[in-house]
Amino acid sequence: MAGEKGNQNENILESPIKFIQEGNSFLSKCKKPNLKEYMQIIRAVGIGFVAVGVIGYAIKLIHIPIRYVIV
Amino acid sequence: MAGFRLIDSVKPFLPFLPEVELPYEKLQFDDRVLYTVFISLVYLFAQLPLAGIEKDIVTSINDPIYFLRSAFAAEPRSLLEFGIFPIISSALIMQLLSGLKIIKVNFKLQKDRELFQSFTKLITFIQYFFLTNIFILAGYYGTDLTIFQVALLNFQLVGAGVVATLLIEIIDKGFGFTSGPMIINTVVIATNTIADIIGVSQIKIDDQGNTEAQGALINLVQGFRAKHKTLVGAVVSAFNRDYLPNLTTAVLVLTIGAIVCYFQNFRVELPIRSTRARGMNNVYPVRLFHVASLSVSFSYTLLFYIHITAFTLITLVGKNDPSNIVCKILGHYNDVNNILAVPTFPLSVFTPPRSFFGGLIEAPLSFVVFPAFVLVTGVWFAYKWQAISGQSAYDLAKEFKEQGLTLAGRREQNVGKELDKSIPLASATGAAVLAIITIAGELLGLKGKAASMVIGVCGGFSLLELITLEYQQAGGNSALSQVLGNPTSM
Amino acid sequence: MSSTPPGGQRTLQKRRQAQAAKDKHAKQTPTSTRSAGFGGSSNSILKIFTDEANGLRVDPLVVLFLAVGFIFSVVALHVISKVTGRIF
Repeated sequence: MAGEKGNQNENILESPIKFIQEGNSFLSKCKKPNLKEYMQIIRAVGIGFVAVGVIGYAIKLIHIPIRYVIV
Repeated sequence: MAGFRLIDSVKPFLPFLPEVELPYEKLQFDDRVLYTVFISLVYLFAQLPLAGIEKDIVTSINDPIYFLRSAFAAEPRSLLEFGIFPIISSALIMQLLSGLKIIKVNFKLQKDRELFQSFTKLITFIQYFFLTNIFILAGYYGTDLTIFQVALLNFQLVGAGVVATLLIEIIDKGFGFTSGPMIINTVVIATNTIADIIGVSQIKIDDQGNTEAQGALINLVQGFRAKHKTLVGAVVSAFNRDYLPNLTTAVLVLTIGAIVCYFQNFRVELPIRSTRARGMNNVYPVRLFHVASLSVSFSYTLLFYIHITAFTLITLVGKNDPSNIVCKILGHYNDVNNILAVPTFPLSVFTPPRSFFGGLIEAPLSFVVFPAFVLVTGVWFAYKWQAISGQSAYDLAKEFKEQGLTLAGRREQNVGKELDKSIPLASATGAAVLAIITIAGELLGLKGKAASMVIGVCGGFSLLELITLEYQQAGGNSALSQVLGNPTSM
Repeated sequence: MSSTPPGGQRTLQKRRQAQAAKDKHAKQTPTSTRSAGFGGSSNSILKIFTDEANGLRVDPLVVLFLAVGFIFSVVALHVISKVTGRIF
């Protein structure tokens, strides 16, 4: 996927390739989350997402009878 | 003040632009939760069907921006037809242009900042107005509308736009949390994701009056006792129906969320030490997602503009007639499922395919141009944005100096230069990673859900962090779950 | 190269350059509201409205009421069109 950028700017081929190399080395330098951290993030984001989503969907459910009455 | 500046052009409109007052004092945490929740709910509630148009409209054109809607909290044929696209787009573009010094604004002056803000708002309203009337003229709301209907549609759609802008302004001004557009976007995306998975509303799918559930999971369960199809057929259809969300897309969307979460905590930790106290060693994390979801929002903003421009030309000038010269150059729209207007060749290269294998055969070029576009614009934006956002390497160096910090093993003067090695690179790489995740999802046929999930999870995470911080400052303890528990307990 | 004594012209030149660069940086106008030090968008957060500009001042609660009022006016439009049985 990352190679696509190279095809894009063939006239300035150098900078995208350099960017890919630097980006790759940055990625490998990155401190990656371990399983425990990852689970924590998933849980925090998951709970937040589901909580917000369920409340939001409850509001949308009110729409169904309203639609039925008014349309 | 020699010469004309663009932001001055807003001056004659100032008396008519509504402006929310700033709070007199900082609000309590609970009040802010209330404002935020109430505003999000008002926004969700405003997704009502439009009044004044026929129920079974005979349209000459269907939804041309179906794959862009979910990234901007837009609901087709509702009051929020355009969602918050005009708000996000005008803010992103204006702030980018002023940051690149294309628009002259001196942010040090109170007057200039105010004018700039009003100008952004004016552009937002103008965009709502133009989008509404483009859609009306294109025949999206029916072919022969009376003048009264047109006025009514304008009242509803532009009115909803003004209301949405003001709601966002309330959040932005400190009554709610952090950023209005991002809060609303995240809430709507979360709601839609939940609705797609466990939505129970029954939607009519054929003329015989058979209904299926909106949610993919509910549909699978219902499929076991549906009368109009066999058991195997029901299971297969639960995984691959294309008129409503299916389980395959649901799983893909959740996977994308999980992948974004994984990359979320990628960081390079730079060791820092205090210049004032000895032995105060710590690390400063440079995030991979320094620019977070904004790069994807920007790419989709540009895509939106491309598609709206093409839509205007094709429907208004070319009348969507394949033999017309405009349509020969740009392509035209085909009906799919009676809901979507799918563009044909030249324009289709900027459109993600509706399914992976179908797209591969029909529009192979869109597997090259669309990804390249999202990737290049995303990376470019991230690179520029980190420099102008006020959190660039040199801004951070200044902050470090004020707090008496320095990078371990570096002289104080070199902190900026050292940070400048990693922050732009992190932003650009992060944007590339997000773009690749988005592209991968979109090419598998998620019709915009991949982008919305990336924006939702990534943006949601940025918000969560700041809200947690404010919660701690408000005297609470650090448990994340309690912040999350707050909205539910109300 | 290594034979150049410490101090002297070269160091002075360097100092001058550094000072010039510093001045240039200071003279630049900020690129965003946040870099000017007044809130606004940050690296990962898009903020639009952070100043109180001139205009038609409204209270946030009034806006909320108007928003709800607006939604109900649309509901009312639906009801009117249903009761009268025609679409305007």
